[in-house]
Amino acid sequence: MRRYLPVAATVIRGAAQALGIVFLIFLLCRVVPGDVVDVLGLEGGLTADQAEAMRRELGIDKSLVDQFLDWSGGMLQGEFGRSLRYGVPVSGMLLHALPVSAMLAGGSFAIGLALALVLAVAATSTRSTVLDVAINALNIWSIAAPTFCVGFIGILVFSIWLGWLPVLGGVGMALVIIGLDNAGQLVKPLREELRECVSLPHVRTARAKGLAPMQVAVAHVLPAASPIVLALSGIVLANLVSGTITMEVLFGLPGLGSLALNAIHGRDYPVIMAAITVISVSLVVINTLVDIIARLIDPRMS
Amino acid sequence: MTEGMLEVRALAVAIGNRPVVSEVNFTLPRGQTLAIIGESGSGKSMTAAAIMGLLPAGLRLASHSEVLLGGKPLPLRDESLMRRIRGRRMAMIFQDPMSCLNPYMTVGAQIAEALRHLGVRRGAEQRERIVELLRLVELPTPEVMVRRYPHQMSGGQQQRVMIAMALASEPELLIADEPTSALDATVQAEVLQLLERVQQRLHTSILFITHDLAAAARLAHDIVVLQSGRVVEQGPVGQVIHAPRQAYTKLLVSVRQMLERPQAGHDRPSERPVLVIRDLSYAYPARGPLKKSNKVLDGISLPLHGGRTLGILGESGSGKSTLALIVAGLISPDMGEIELFGDSMAAVRFRMSPRQRRRCQIVFQNPYGALNPRLTIEQTMREPIELLETPGRTGLRSRLEQSLADVGLEPGHLNRYPHQLSGGQRQRVCIARALLSGPELLICDEIVSALDATVQMQVLETVRSLQRRLGFAMLFIGHDIEIVRWVSDDIAVMHRGRVVELGNAEQIVQAPAHSYTRRLIASAPALARASVNPGA
Repeated sequence: MRRYLPVAATVIRGAAQALGIVFLIFLLCRVVPGDVVDVLGLEGGLTADQAEAMRRELGIDKSLVDQFLDWSGGMLQGEFGRSLRYGVPVSGMLLHALPVSAMLAGGSFAIGLALALVLAVAATSTRSTVLDVAINALNIWSIAAPTFCVGFIGILVFSIWLGWLPVLGGVGMALVIIGLDNAGQLVKPLREELRECVSLPHVRTARAKGLAPMQVAVAHVLPAASPIVLALSGIVLANLVSGTITMEVLFGLPGLGSLALNAIHGRDYPVIMAAITVISVSLVVINTLVDIIARLIDPRMS
Repeated sequence: MTEGMLEVRALAVAIGNRPVVSEVNFTLPRGQTLAIIGESGSGKSMTAAAIMGLLPAGLRLASHSEVLLGGKPLPLRDESLMRRIRGRRMAMIFQDPMSCLNPYMTVGAQIAEALRHLGVRRGAEQRERIVELLRLVELPTPEVMVRRYPHQMSGGQQQRVMIAMALASEPELLIADEPTSALDATVQAEVLQLLERVQQRLHTSILFITHDLAAAARLAHDIVVLQSGRVVEQGPVGQVIHAPRQAYTKLLVSVRQMLERPQAGHDRPSERPVLVIRDLSYAYPARGPLKKSNKVLDGISLPLHGGRTLGILGESGSGKSTLALIVAGLISPDMGEIELFGDSMAAVRFRMSPRQRRRCQIVFQNPYGALNPRLTIEQTMREPIELLETPGRTGLRSRLEQSLADVGLEPGHLNRYPHQLSGGQRQRVCIARALLSGPELLICDEIVSALDATVQMQVLETVRSLQRRLGFAMLFIGHDIEIVRWVSDDIAVMHRGRVVELGNAEQIVQAPAHSYTRRLIASAPALARASVNPGA
């Protein structure tokens, strides 16, 4: 039972973090000068009276505190308000965008982790220099080649020259490009960690027991490397949540990133706040999950 | 003599072209124990690893080397064949049981793994066998222990689990590589006794790798002495220990015997006290609002008179090193008073003035970590002088050379870096550095624990002769009874943060009054007591 107490504490801490972030987002949105009425005014030429009436209708003439209470109260009921520009409920827009981003982040992370694990485990068990060179190349690739550059080249080669893939809306290429990038970030530290883990005393004990290499790897080496895998996965996933924006824009994918970017251009506060809230809450959720899993894996941490 | 269970023929191991073990030959008879004795770098652990087929990457077994188990050659160069023999016909236990057990698995699961390797399926039979094994290694409440994780056990319990796991197949050969070196003295004795009893019950042959001559004398029938990868001497225990033929063996034995002979001149006239500790308490602060703080010192009172040595004897967790840190002014106690050279330290919140610091110096356990690897010895030794004194450049170099000469080093050592010195030389530098300011009190926190036995004695002799000449008082913290007794005039025995006994060194060793002291002293593997061995 005592094992679950720290887990509960982690969850509470995560919730507090999320609340703080949401409040900060709200404040930051209001610090930027100019509101939606200004932007629409520039586009459509509103009179001062019309603008005033519009502000009252949208509720953005009230005090900041009142606006925050209105907004967070609604959000708790799953109600993010209406888009100022399109007049449709924000929750509907989120429901459209969220699966696209989640699929992009989740899919590319799965590709990256799987590739990194396979390469690192293979290199450790075979002590092959070829694989180590491949690992280094992939690592350098992920540092040196930004995904949006690779994306451009990919579109140029596969969509325009070869004509194999569509220019816009091609999820597959985006997944592969981000996946490779993730694998490059994960594989090198993972390889180093495994190199150390195989010479750990308790792994030697397992070998002295006469266990088969597969058993030694699965039951003794990988658990020892799991804290590093978890910590790295947390970082990579966190980068993905905020970092797929460029790829969404490049490939014309209607995800959270595109949604937030368009909303910022149009000062569409409810959409900006909702999108950023979803992004940051998912960051907190990822970190909290990583924390909890780390505690559950390692009996010494509870 | 019975037939050889384990025969090692011309065993040689090398890293690249550098030999680590050269042409080692020995025979271990069935049901007996053979000890391989050696200091660090002697190749004893590599010999054991080679026999198990567990040499670390980069080490190579010579092609002509042969190891016979039960009369048949081991397939040392075929990993998949060796795997079938490991954990069945031969098993191994290691030095540090904490890191040798998988922290992510319960001990029951780890033993179950060894049993599955033997073909014992999951289920009631397996569970019974695990409990039976834990009972064999004399663990209390085996049914509860099965579900424990390694970190929830003491070091002695962990090593018992390791032994239980190794005995799962009732192997013909058990290799024990320094099985007690990481354990406290009382626990060491228990584990050695356990190995003996297990051998009597299962008729296991034991290959016992150790640096401790007394432990080897206690457990083994035969001894092989290794030095730099070569066999120096081998034979029955009685012969090797009581009539050593080779110079190196004689040195090893004499070091032990020297410790067991009482020191002359223990009773120097006592001067005024340099250090008085009264009711000192300290607790490590709690790590969270709901956690308890950890009390490590509980009402310590001790006097130390000028020119004398007070030994603090205790096992790990007794609080002895915390006491050293408090006296050295590196941490502040929660309660109590320290009078240093007659001045109250509580009055200045235990912050030492530069003047006091000059008069009170400390030497730490690990000479590898205590010297900054980026500074030469000269730079390292200049630091305290520049810190504590107004720098007078003239004659500084010759003063440093003199202080190195005092600890048996040469002027040439001043230009070296720490990694170019041996462990013993580094500890000598630390001692010379501490003595530069001419302290009246020297705190020695386990200063020889990281060193080999022969080096230990040289360092201890240096410290003693310097003390005789310079007349400083010493607070000597240690866990080895023989060493603490050899150095000290008085001994304070610490147990769980309290001083359980305080008195004259000889008296405490010869006639301990407190039950804990009696237990501690009974567990010390003395050579004299261990020399009568059934196999010799």
